[in-house]
Amino acid sequence: MLDWTFLPLTLNQIISPQTIAFALAALGLSVHFGFTGLLNFGQAGFMSVGAYFFAITATRFGFPLWASILAALIGATAFAFLLGIPTLRLRADYLSIVTIAAAEIIRYTVQTPDLTAFTGGSDGINGAEAGFEKLNPFPDRVYKIGVVPYTNDDIWVIVVGWVLVALAALFVWQLMRSPWGRIVKGIREDEDAVRSLGKNVYAFKLQALIIGGILGTLGAIINIIPTSLQPNNYGTQTTFFLWTIMLLGGATTVLGPIIGSIIFWVVLNLSDGFIGILAATHVLPLSQVQQGPVRFIIVGIALMLLVIFRPQGIFGKKKEAHFSV
Amino acid sequence: MPTTRRRLARAATMIAAAVGVALTLGLTASPAAAASTPIDPATAKESILVVARDNSTPPAKPLPGIPVQVSGNGFDVTVSTGADGRVEVGLPGPGTFDVKLDVSKVPSGLALPSALKPERSVEVDTGNKQVLANYIFISATQQQQQQATSTPSPGATADHEKASDEKQSGDFGRRIWPALATGLIFGLLLALASIGVSLIYGTTGLNNFAHGELVTFGGLMAYTFTSIVPLPGWLAIIVATVLGGAFGFVQDLGLWRPLRRMRVALIPLMIVSIGLSLAVRYLFQILYGPGTLLLPQDSSAAINIGPVHLTSADVSAAIIAIVVLLGVAWLLGNTRIGKATRAVADNRSLAAASGIDVESVIRIVWTAGGALAGLAGALLAYYQTIQWDSGAQILLAIFAAVTLGGLGTAYGALVGSLVIGLFINVSAIWLPANLKFVAALIAMIVILLVRPQGILGKKDRIG
Repeated sequence: MLDWTFLPLTLNQIISPQTIAFALAALGLSVHFGFTGLLNFGQAGFMSVGAYFFAITATRFGFPLWASILAALIGATAFAFLLGIPTLRLRADYLSIVTIAAAEIIRYTVQTPDLTAFTGGSDGINGAEAGFEKLNPFPDRVYKIGVVPYTNDDIWVIVVGWVLVALAALFVWQLMRSPWGRIVKGIREDEDAVRSLGKNVYAFKLQALIIGGILGTLGAIINIIPTSLQPNNYGTQTTFFLWTIMLLGGATTVLGPIIGSIIFWVVLNLSDGFIGILAATHVLPLSQVQQGPVRFIIVGIALMLLVIFRPQGIFGKKKEAHFSV
Repeated sequence: MPTTRRRLARAATMIAAAVGVALTLGLTASPAAAASTPIDPATAKESILVVARDNSTPPAKPLPGIPVQVSGNGFDVTVSTGADGRVEVGLPGPGTFDVKLDVSKVPSGLALPSALKPERSVEVDTGNKQVLANYIFISATQQQQQQATSTPSPGATADHEKASDEKQSGDFGRRIWPALATGLIFGLLLALASIGVSLIYGTTGLNNFAHGELVTFGGLMAYTFTSIVPLPGWLAIIVATVLGGAFGFVQDLGLWRPLRRMRVALIPLMIVSIGLSLAVRYLFQILYGPGTLLLPQDSSAAINIGPVHLTSADVSAAIIAIVVLLGVAWLLGNTRIGKATRAVADNRSLAAASGIDVESVIRIVWTAGGALAGLAGALLAYYQTIQWDSGAQILLAIFAAVTLGGLGTAYGALVGSLVIGLFINVSAIWLPANLKFVAALIAMIVILLVRPQGILGKKDRIG
């Protein structure tokens, strides 16, 4: 018996909260890298910090929803300051090592046994969604989209998530057309030229780091609402997924990361399904345990090929895609 | 344009070739234990026994039909406890698995004591069967009384190392010496891996995020040539080193040189190395399975100096590392090729202008870097254990060491590695075990703040 149910399920990946979360976080990453030229390899850290601020204030201190969201945004901003102040003056590749290290520091630290009362240790935090679901206007019944039945809570997070994606895209689009956007793009192209015009490059980089980090945090909140907060979901592989998504769609575009996220999850879902079929029919000599890693190999190879052969992604312009340094 | 096309096509085939070589080299390993969901516990080499009992009123009664999810290492099954309240779950291999009991299906009025959690991680070693995951329920009122009176005990996931640390705390002198000894050995192994990272950076400008996989490769080859192809340990280490060098050489020939020819900038190159790291690492997982691999070794203490107990593996790893590092230092300082390497690392254009063949130096650096990383991996496999992501786990420690010493300098990598190795192990005296890498990473960030060029780096390198 071959299991073909992944085919209709793939369509639901297009709207899934995971796709929304990665679209928002990748959009944030494109503010960092695509528009400002910052090599942030710690976007998973921004997601993790925001998610923990949100979940801890909501479950441990009983904050209302708006206050938890505010706490998450403050957390992401503080993380951006903490990360940016020492490193934004350094050369780009140092920033990449420091950001990846900072994200790992967060991931290790929240799993410390001494902090379990707050962070839930390696089990993470459940139940942060209560405040969000209280506001749900959808009546409690089953909503069917394709073959998948959704609860009213699922529909609520999907609707809010996509509204958030639309607002974020509009915001970034307008921002990059503004004088501020022209300056950060100038920093990407030639930092010294912008500095010679009397602009405070350091401050602009810090602002870009904060904006992108906040988008990552919003993504993380959407990600944990339908599931739970698991610290190991925000390891380096999440950051690499985000880079692949951003480069796939086009790092210097607004729609690129969003379409990139949809394509990424649809393709991963399809490849998982087809590899399952190929293994079940013994075309591929893979056991069930061996099928899991295949998606990471696909992502790794896709990342290499993208950077080498199409650095501008699907929607990007070739002339903007040259990497400085 | 046609030449570019051809170059692109060639680069693509080269990448495929590089991955293919890694694949064929790895294929000598036995594939991971075959698994079907769920695995029959009677035939599985490893299994977890989940027991759910109602202890609210004696005698204890079994709790049948409670769903239990066992997941981890790419394996995920959900089963239910049988009529006797037990269920044995066959596992694909050793490792750490998350066991999660669905408490909502337990009859109301029952609760777990506060010391027991419905979700916990269970460590299963090679060949361990029926590793217990006990869920003993008491009445909800009992549980509340217990919470009120007793101090909270650590959960099932509590860190054993931490617990034993606390017992001994106070006896600082007895703990600092073993920490210094293990730190020094780890630092020496780290140095072997770091020199490659530093020299590759120095000669090509590339921050090689895939260097951890060269280390893992060496460890897996050492495993392959002791446990699958039975060779003596010393020979396996040599084979791992040679194959590591070959892997480095092939990587440069098949991937990095074509990319240099295409004039791909440094940041895209760095992202390519990240993609390569991801692909190769998970290829290792497919070939060698997700579990920890153990090499045959003698774990009895060979040398006892006061509180320091070293096994023969520890001592020989340290001696081999010291000898090789001294050899590398001598080569760099005294031979033509060593001087040429340092010249290219120092200033590439100037070296090229003085008639040094930069490409061949880079090829030698990749080969030597790969061999040293392979040796580091093989020794690490003997010193601790090896698994598919061992190298990736120490990659940030390698970066910390290289940054600390000064990017691009070989001697700096050596000094930085020793400092980081000691720092990681000594800080573990005070910090919980899971934070020991954090200490090293924070040290790296602080160094970048204070002296971004590192201990031995030159100031103009930071740009």
